[in-house]
Amino acid sequence: MSMMHASSVKDAATANDVPPTASLMRWVIVATLPGIATMSYFFGLGVISNVVLAAAFGVALEAAVLRLRKRPIRVTLNDSSALLTGVLLGASLPPASPWWLIGVGMVAAIVVAKQLYGGLGHNPFNPAMVGYALLLVSFPTYMTLWAPPQELLPSGLWAQITGTLPTAQLDSLSGATPLDAFKHKGDAVLASEFWATNPLPNGTLSAWRWVALAWLAGGVLLLAKRIISWHIPVAMLGSVLLLATLFYLGDPSHFASPLFHLLTGATLFGAFFIATDPVSAATSRRGKLLYGAGIGALIIIIRTVGGYPDAVAFAVLLMNLCVPLLDLYSVPRPTGQQRAPSGKPGEQP
Amino acid sequence: MSNAFDFPGGIYPPERKQRSNQAALIEAPLPNRVTLPLQQHSGQAATPCVMPGDAVKVGSVIAKREGMISSDLHASISGTVSDVSATHITIESDGQDAWQRLPPLDWQRTEPYALFERLNESGIVGLGGAGFPTHIKARVIERHAIHTLVINAAECEPYITADDLTLRHYAGEVLEGAQIIAKLCGAQHIVIGIEDNKPEAIEALKHALPLVLSTSQPITAELKTIPTRYPSGGERQLIKKLLNLDVPSGGLPADVGVLCHNPGTLLAVLQAVRDGQPLVARIVTLTGDAIAQPGNRWVRLGTSIKELLETAGLNHSELKQVIQGGPMMGTPLPTLDTPVTKLTNCLIAATLEEFPPAPAESPCIRCGECESVCPVALLPQQLHWYARAEDNAKLERYHLFDCIECGACSYVCPSHIPLVVDYREAKRRIRLQRIETAKAEHAKHRFEFRQARLAREEAEKQARKEARKSQQRRTSTNSTTSSAASSEKVDLRGLRIAHAAAKASVKKAEKTLARVAQEDPKQPLDDLEMQLATAQENLKAAELQLAQAREQPSSEESS
Repeated sequence: MSMMHASSVKDAATANDVPPTASLMRWVIVATLPGIATMSYFFGLGVISNVVLAAAFGVALEAAVLRLRKRPIRVTLNDSSALLTGVLLGASLPPASPWWLIGVGMVAAIVVAKQLYGGLGHNPFNPAMVGYALLLVSFPTYMTLWAPPQELLPSGLWAQITGTLPTAQLDSLSGATPLDAFKHKGDAVLASEFWATNPLPNGTLSAWRWVALAWLAGGVLLLAKRIISWHIPVAMLGSVLLLATLFYLGDPSHFASPLFHLLTGATLFGAFFIATDPVSAATSRRGKLLYGAGIGALIIIIRTVGGYPDAVAFAVLLMNLCVPLLDLYSVPRPTGQQRAPSGKPGEQP
Repeated sequence: MSNAFDFPGGIYPPERKQRSNQAALIEAPLPNRVTLPLQQHSGQAATPCVMPGDAVKVGSVIAKREGMISSDLHASISGTVSDVSATHITIESDGQDAWQRLPPLDWQRTEPYALFERLNESGIVGLGGAGFPTHIKARVIERHAIHTLVINAAECEPYITADDLTLRHYAGEVLEGAQIIAKLCGAQHIVIGIEDNKPEAIEALKHALPLVLSTSQPITAELKTIPTRYPSGGERQLIKKLLNLDVPSGGLPADVGVLCHNPGTLLAVLQAVRDGQPLVARIVTLTGDAIAQPGNRWVRLGTSIKELLETAGLNHSELKQVIQGGPMMGTPLPTLDTPVTKLTNCLIAATLEEFPPAPAESPCIRCGECESVCPVALLPQQLHWYARAEDNAKLERYHLFDCIECGACSYVCPSHIPLVVDYREAKRRIRLQRIETAKAEHAKHRFEFRQARLAREEAEKQARKEARKSQQRRTSTNSTTSSAASSEKVDLRGLRIAHAAAKASVKKAEKTLARVAQEDPKQPLDDLEMQLATAQENLKAAELQLAQAREQPSSEESS
């Protein structure tokens, strides 16, 4: 009974308390705007068209599956979670990706990863990252080539609609991300030599840095509005920095600097917008710290010794796998109990 | 002040105490009629001892306690008993307000047993909301060593200001009542825990402390102001905050040497001892947007809530619902035609704008917000899944029964899931299941009780027969040598042992009952009460047999 009054007291005088689920989702969407704006400033309108297209796919697919599942459509769509998944996946894809690529990604995200598991709150894996990982392993060519900065590409947009790849992007290394370029520099090449050759088109590195900082700004907004708690981002960024520093100190001539790991690729985007998805993350504070730290560690390990230049999607998905275990072993000790409840079956409370 | 210790979690709901703590404490008008429920306390309902038509005064006993965990009930107005039903006694006022008090006692010079008896016959129960009989709680010394008495003046729920106003007006009396309880339970130390949003009450306590302390010899007292945070007034939370002691799960504060009392209860204790005044009235907070004159009132028990709110200017057209208790843990009243009881600490006459209906529930997104505010460090979200799946084993493993139902988790839930409602339902289900499994046990206890009653009756019959016999023996010429009796070698020693054993099992049954009743106020107690009654029947039978056996040799000697 208490609940009714409690939540209504809150609604009547809302201040610092948690806003309802739908408005949580909407705040996350709002917080992506600086990142998306900065990206499209550097990489062109293809970023925005990606996001719009993916969001539209998200809402349409969610509505279609809800209809098949005979669930209330309007109420469920109102929670904006499908919209958010679309925005996040759209923002992760190379600018002006072909429409069918986005569509395939969103089917994997909304239909397979989310609705087939039971909808919002029941999906063990981060939907956007499932979509991204599927695209990455299935269509590597499309997924690893980014238009160089400062090219607002009307032709690229046309290619998006026709579903082909802009030929300009296929040309050379010019479409690679800094992480990609560094990854494929070859073992013989020292880091200092690699940077001396000025391998990336002018402005690429700084463009990525600005984008990363814009994601950081959005993340700070989420923290300030208490939409997310600090545990996952801090643990994740902390372990990225720690591990990158260890590698870098071990062999600075081969490994990238911690700052490079932090400010390129999807590190900051992932820390604030992907890893913090509550549904697929650990729930207890201790569990969240472990979860974030695990993602950070996996990112550095995959980036330095694994096969993929960026690794946020795989790191998040691997840690999603560990969440039930983390939840089981990070239970706090209830007041008045000798120890935390153990999850072992058959054990008496 | 004392931020050294802390309990986990907690929330900061809007307090809204200003509405009712501005006006002075006044007496509500005397009602023309009171309806007194027989069950105003935890445990068994009281048994009426008046008939319709009886004249009663304020303070006359109208119902006696039934079983051990129960409480006497007194008339709260003078007049005529008009109705005695299975659940209520109704009294019509004669407008005289004539009192019948018990003789005043000086607690410093009164023996503890007399004080216990006074608490018992005054019908005092915990006025904070649980309604546990105070005389049972005071007898904790028989089972536990108590070092500290905590006065729980935190009053952390929004809206409620009854304790606040009690302390502003009666700080000295509350402290004196605390000294009585401290004397009875052997506590050497009194700690008053109060939230910092009650500056006037804190001032009054600071003023009263030295005066009271100078009269009490060995007992020390300390005022601790704590930051306002819900639910710091939870017994366990407050004990953690003030004393850094963890009350064990399923245990009582007494297990760590602490006793907790509400200021209103302590005031009632003093009034019962010093003035001989049984519990016939209490302080009730009247608040909410639908009444014109909010504030705190002295209200006679049994007053109609509807009439009471009307005297405070109730606006019927604005009224959406009346909540008894606070907005976090209280319950909405289905009808206003219910009386104020010993448990009514606050009545919120709320408008629709004040408590709009809860929005529709959406799926849990596992945000973990509930977990971060849980004052017991439980996993509300896991409990939610298990409660919905009716997985009782998991619910118990994750300590559902440690939940204090404070509602902090429901309050912060972004998906508006009524978590506490789910937990209460799950607890109810598990309790029912326990009763089902205990049914065979219960039948056995019923059988044992019947056997004990028959044995006692047999012993009584035997005693009467013996008495008649000895009478005859005396009237006749004493010539008959009572061969039968002498040949029957009376085993006095064996009977004495049986008597002592029966006495011990009564004590044991009392202990268990008192403990269970305090640990889980919602647990049905009839089975334990029956076990106690069985032990008492056995004791009576043993007493009779022993008395009879003692009689026999003596009569033989005299003859």
